[in-house]
Amino acid sequence: MSLAAEAFVSQIAAAEPWPENATLYQPLKEDQILLSDCASSLAVQAYLRMCGLPVQVVCRANAEYMSPSGKIPFIHVGNQVVSELGPIVQFTKAKGHSLSDGLDDVQRAEMKAYMELVNNMLLTAELFIQWCDDATAAEISRPRYSSPYSWPLNNILAYQKQWEVRRKMNAIGWGGKTLEQVYEDVSQCCQALSQRLGTQPYFFSKQPTELDALVFGHLFTIITTRLTSGELAERIKGFSNLLSFCRRIEQTYFEDKSSST
Amino acid sequence: MAAALELRCWGGDWGLPSVHSESLVVLAYSKFSGAKLTVCPIDWTWKTITASVPELLCGDAVVQEPAQILHFLRKQRFNADYELTARQGADTMAYIALLEEKLRPALLHTFWVDAENYSNLTRPWFASRSPFPLNFVVPSRQASAALSRILVTKGEAPLHRISEVEGKIYSDAKECLNLLSYRLGKTKYFFGNSPSSLDAFVFGFLAPLFKATLPSSTLQSHLKQLDNLTHFCDNILAVYFSAQNPSLPPPVQETMDANLQKLTQLVNKESNLIEKMDDNLRGSPQHKTHRAESRARVSTVTD
Repeated sequence: MSLAAEAFVSQIAAAEPWPENATLYQPLKEDQILLSDCASSLAVQAYLRMCGLPVQVVCRANAEYMSPSGKIPFIHVGNQVVSELGPIVQFTKAKGHSLSDGLDDVQRAEMKAYMELVNNMLLTAELFIQWCDDATAAEISRPRYSSPYSWPLNNILAYQKQWEVRRKMNAIGWGGKTLEQVYEDVSQCCQALSQRLGTQPYFFSKQPTELDALVFGHLFTIITTRLTSGELAERIKGFSNLLSFCRRIEQTYFEDKSSST
Repeated sequence: MAAALELRCWGGDWGLPSVHSESLVVLAYSKFSGAKLTVCPIDWTWKTITASVPELLCGDAVVQEPAQILHFLRKQRFNADYELTARQGADTMAYIALLEEKLRPALLHTFWVDAENYSNLTRPWFASRSPFPLNFVVPSRQASAALSRILVTKGEAPLHRISEVEGKIYSDAKECLNLLSYRLGKTKYFFGNSPSSLDAFVFGFLAPLFKATLPSSTLQSHLKQLDNLTHFCDNILAVYFSAQNPSLPPPVQETMDANLQKLTQLVNKESNLIEKMDDNLRGSPQHKTHRAESRARVSTVTD
């Protein structure tokens, strides 16, 4: 969206309170959704729960095409549709709910920097493993991504998505990397997060912020998803404070969900 | 460590040792860590099209990409991050990611995609530094690479056209500059008194934007308003890249200045003490009676 349109939308957003029937759309959970989308979606769900805003999760096969920016997840609130964590955080801020108000400028700079680190490293690594590693792409990503569609559309869509992601990896210089190097990058990123977290309950001491939601979304999804090789999950499990961080957030904010299953 | 280190990079201009951001990062880091690099500019050679810049050659090893080069230098025991805590090392990674995501697209756009800047500054510069007939090919190749990178990473649907992406990347870049300014605050370098790899990265990204004579750039004017960042760049240029290339004198001068300051403070303190003692003496009762006596004596004399 252009800047003027964004400002206009936040003006409108500020006018109404959060409705009861807000919905979050993501691809089909059992068959279609992939690791990176699941992580982003979980991050947004965690953020909304931390803000105390109710939202229903709805699974649709064409969620990616419904989204205004093509990315998952997106929320439908009132008569507005907002996708991706960054714009959703701004949208909820316009409505008066924010988790990072108590931070000073330097802390906010740090928070944004760490969020970029997670996006830059973890999300890119997830995309790489899903689409640039031939084994994973053939066994998991392509079949899952195209499962709602019949032949020949499923082949076309799957290969198109793969080509797009590979192009993006080449553009940012990840095209020549091997899987080992990517695992190494993920380890370094987790080490940085682990050191930043230390022994605190959340990244910025007592209160969770959007950074906590984002990190939880990615790490929890990686730990609980089965890929062709469990190496990525093993690397993350090596950091005990990150594991306990994920468990803590799951118990605090997703308790009713896990107790019902 | 025995093998000589050679760095291939683009040449310098506008008061900078190199106009290329990534080469500047490596040059700055080598100065901070004390590594002796022989700089081989690739200007006017065929390497402008064949080599990927910057490139470090050490014996048989060839290392590309700034992050890999810094890692290599650290393994060779040239480490400017020696004194950082683990948390500061984590912060370094985070801020570098911030620079890459938010600032780099806008820098690429300012130098390579913005029509006025490209035709008046970037293309003539790179064309004049490439041998014939590469001067027709090199700049346009880099420009199209820059444009495709911006569109692929930032231009997701519905922002397919570059004009729509522009607004977003420039506002992201301005926010990034503000965040860097908040983080730097009043300190000389990002982590204490000695520069580290984060300072090298920030310098590499900001210095060309600061020093280049761009015909039209809102981002440059935004940067120039952030005094602490401009002083940061000037400081690094003056201390590490000045013409005579002194690496030792500045610390000596600093200690001399510090000593001088301490001396002046001591002298001031002493003179304050003396004044106080003087006042106390004047105010003391013994002194008053003495003065009364002397006044009495004087009056008796004048009588």
